Amino acid sequence: MNHFTCAYLTLCEIPLYDLGGAARARAGRGGPASVPMTPQPPRVTDKLMTAQEAVARYVRPGAVLGMGGQNIGRCPMALTQEIIRQRIGGLTVAGCNLSIAMDQLVGAGLVSRCICGSGNLERFGTTFCWRRAIEEGTLQIDDYSHLAMVTRFLAGEMGVPFMPTRSLLGSDLLPPAPEPSAGARPGKALVIDNPWAPGEPVVLVPALQPDVSIVHVQRADRMGNLIIEGFSTHEPEMIRASRHVIASCEELVPTDEIRAHPEQTTIPFLHVSAVVVQRFGAYPTSVHRYYDFDGAQVSAYQAAARAGAAAVAEYLNARVWGCANFDDHLARIAGRNTLEGLRQAMQAIV
Amino acid sequence: MFGMPEGSAGAGYSHRELMVIEAARHVRDGDIVFVGTGLPLLATTFAQRTHAPDVVCVIESGVIAPRVRPTPISVSDPKVMYQAVRLGSLRDVLGCLLQRGMIDLGFLGGAQIDRYGNINSTRIGVPGATQRRLPGSGGGNDMASHCPRLLVITRHERRRFPERCDFITSPGFLDGPGARRRAGLSDEFAVTVVTDLAVMENDPVTCALRVAQLMPGVTLDAVRAETGFRIEAAPQAREVTPPTDADLRVLREELDPARVYLKAEEPVSGSRR
Repeated sequence: MNHFTCAYLTLCEIPLYDLGGAARARAGRGGPASVPMTPQPPRVTDKLMTAQEAVARYVRPGAVLGMGGQNIGRCPMALTQEIIRQRIGGLTVAGCNLSIAMDQLVGAGLVSRCICGSGNLERFGTTFCWRRAIEEGTLQIDDYSHLAMVTRFLAGEMGVPFMPTRSLLGSDLLPPAPEPSAGARPGKALVIDNPWAPGEPVVLVPALQPDVSIVHVQRADRMGNLIIEGFSTHEPEMIRASRHVIASCEELVPTDEIRAHPEQTTIPFLHVSAVVVQRFGAYPTSVHRYYDFDGAQVSAYQAAARAGAAAVAEYLNARVWGCANFDDHLARIAGRNTLEGLRQAMQAIV
Repeated sequence: MFGMPEGSAGAGYSHRELMVIEAARHVRDGDIVFVGTGLPLLATTFAQRTHAPDVVCVIESGVIAPRVRPTPISVSDPKVMYQAVRLGSLRDVLGCLLQRGMIDLGFLGGAQIDRYGNINSTRIGVPGATQRRLPGSGGGNDMASHCPRLLVITRHERRRFPERCDFITSPGFLDGPGARRRAGLSDEFAVTVVTDLAVMENDPVTCALRVAQLMPGVTLDAVRAETGFRIEAAPQAREVTPPTDADLRVLREELDPARVYLKAEEPVSGSRR
């Protein structure tokens, strides 16, 4: 592994694609229209790196972390465990349904705030570390509905400061109306009069642009183009709203394959900061077309989370801090037979 | 309580089975239904296989018109996505279908449902006092805001039916007639609650929940004993029609053969504690 790691570190010293640079260069080029424009070659950069490198580079203490996945589907478990392994704390975790990945971060003591629509693993129960921390007052929670969270990311990805919705009206999810004083700023949402239909209330929610988002996808290339198969949750909006994005993937594909079917590219490379190859990177959650979820493992985590801090610490020691990396975790906790069984279970359903 | 052990409701069917079959009767053919998993999904797929073949299922995880394989346990379970026409984003289903006004019926649930059909899935208890945190809105607030018809399937226990929710996550009729419209919500709205004791519907004038049907062998007094708010019977209140053998066969053999949701014991769920 060592020579591989050195190669990644060398690659990472190359400046990453400067999103603003090319635009600024074009803007600076004045002159008469008759002067032919010299096309700038695209600065394609290899964004492939290890989870360790990507997390160390892009996840800062106190960051607003956008969380991909939903319930037991395509949660970025490998990336989450790397954050836990590096003990990066003071995080604000944002998403729609936050589930097992968020709960492990909370259980590891790394989260001070959540902005979400729900903390829920459905039949497996609520997210218990999250619930306990809110009840004990150690975790702040900004409650929205799922549509309101999508709407916040939508404003973020579209580069506008807010976006309207008709959800939240009449509910206690709306904050009380702000005091009409000079300099008073709205809270988490604001009700206004529809300017085109006075008397009709509409809710505005502010844009949400995470500092860094983590997602696990089926395929990616070295440039950072991403293909999400199956359901995409809130990820397209969240990814495009984020300042940095770390995407782990099941398979690395050649860029030529992307260019042969460009309409299937879910997210173009411009929005992505780092690509990490990690098979079974969502385990124990499912990845559409690749593997089913592992109910027994989800239940094992839920049992520890429900039991309390000591059980959670023991769980994380065994499965995260006690493992060198996610491949080590998979080998010890799941094993080849289990993973193959999950792969076949998905083949039977899809 | 009242003589019926959990699970058995008489001749060969359980409370839960009749709740599912009764809920399915409120799904109309051609409805576009917003639904999760569990008993609501069983009710919707049961309706599809019986009186409502043109029902379209939309799952809040972005799934449109799947052919559900028994028995999914999560909105992200691959079995709920089988042969869907589209697997999309949350914006596709919560925005472009639900908020857009194209969903006819939504199933939702919560820890508390009050007299006006408001639903609480956020927290029990009031600020300053000991509180129990619940999973949160999910798509519940969105469904209550944008569906013209809501359907709830739940057990009938006094603590679930307070006079007023500790927190309104998903708006029913808020505090009575006209309140939805004043808040900016549509007042084309109806709530039906199917429990193991009764079927409740909102009174068309007062907007308060009232008993429309009683489960077989259950009295109005039994319902009142388990309801935290004062509840009346509708003028034409009657008994819930028991299931036929054919109904039970579809439910047991086709929809939940492994008894993931239909077995007698209630599965342990975080929101119940």
